[in-house]
Amino acid sequence: MPEWQRSTLELIVEELRRPVKIDESFDRRVMVHVRRTYARRRRRGIAGVLGAASRITHHPAWAAALAAGIVAIAAMGVARSRQRPATAAGSHEPVQFVLVAPTARSVAVVGDFNDWGLNDSALIATNHEGVWSVTAPVPTGVHRYAYVVNGKDWVADPSAPRSAGDDFGMPSSVLVVEESTK
Amino acid sequence: MESSDADLVTRVLHGEVNAYGALVSRYRDRYARYAVHMLGNREDAEEALQDAFTRAYRSLARCEEPERFGAWLFRILVNRCRTSGARRVRRGQTFVHDEGALMNASQEHPAEQTMWREEIERAVGELSPDQREAFLLKYVEDLGYDEMSEITGVGVSALKMRVMRACDRLRTLLREVHSA
Repeated sequence: MPEWQRSTLELIVEELRRPVKIDESFDRRVMVHVRRTYARRRRRGIAGVLGAASRITHHPAWAAALAAGIVAIAAMGVARSRQRPATAAGSHEPVQFVLVAPTARSVAVVGDFNDWGLNDSALIATNHEGVWSVTAPVPTGVHRYAYVVNGKDWVADPSAPRSAGDDFGMPSSVLVVEESTK
Repeated sequence: MESSDADLVTRVLHGEVNAYGALVSRYRDRYARYAVHMLGNREDAEEALQDAFTRAYRSLARCEEPERFGAWLFRILVNRCRTSGARRVRRGQTFVHDEGALMNASQEHPAEQTMWREEIERAVGELSPDQREAFLLKYVEDLGYDEMSEITGVGVSALKMRVMRACDRLRTLLREVHSA
């Protein structure tokens, strides 16, 4: 390559690599959109789960499973809106717990329905490319539960209402399990 | 200590929405440069960048490697710039060089510098979108051909050809300016 051509290319690249500054109001504009999206998802009770649903569409075998998780959460919302009394009937219903935690090494579910994981009763979730999921029968009624990430970090479910009084000083969420109508 | 991309992504996914602001600040200027050069004007570039950030937030759970959030976001931006470029062509607009971007350059020899910058912007704007995209990714963003292929979905051989043609075209256009 002739010297003149090489240096011309270098000069072009040097010029194009100069930083371009964007006004800081740009950040505010983006965050307005982000907060609106977040608020909309919270109102619909699916914050933190909707993204996972679309992700799973790339993996057909998991689409149904995750869809089931969203349905389960939707069913909880219906139960709350009817203000059903919290009854603890004897029957159990299958509930799928889903947590999006791409960097987690392990995720388990603990709640009052499994003695908060005592005696190895924690439900161990399975990782599907950052979407952790486990399905288990849970007695009908109102329950409190949480996720234990990496065996030590106790987190509430971002897609469910927080428990009024966090258990043992730890964050927890509320789960309403209705008896199946079938 | 500055939080890693993976930390920030995890915090956002757990409902800490303000953590996303740190990701916006981190990548705003760097990716604005690509959008401005690709689309040729600041208004379209900011619109594309804003859209890329909001799309990324909406599908953050699909970011399979949170530690590489920047690369994932960049792929969204590249696609967004393609869409924006195609729309601009359909609207029949022509490529307009960006005065605002040029104002950030050094002021050593303002008149010559500005003229040179304008000629470069004009020459880059005369490349086909495919050639411009390949040239910017290769030489300005300093990506390898494998990364470029991953981002664009175009084969390595085709990308090399586009870069080569872009270089030839730029040399021709700028030689014409020099000899004029």
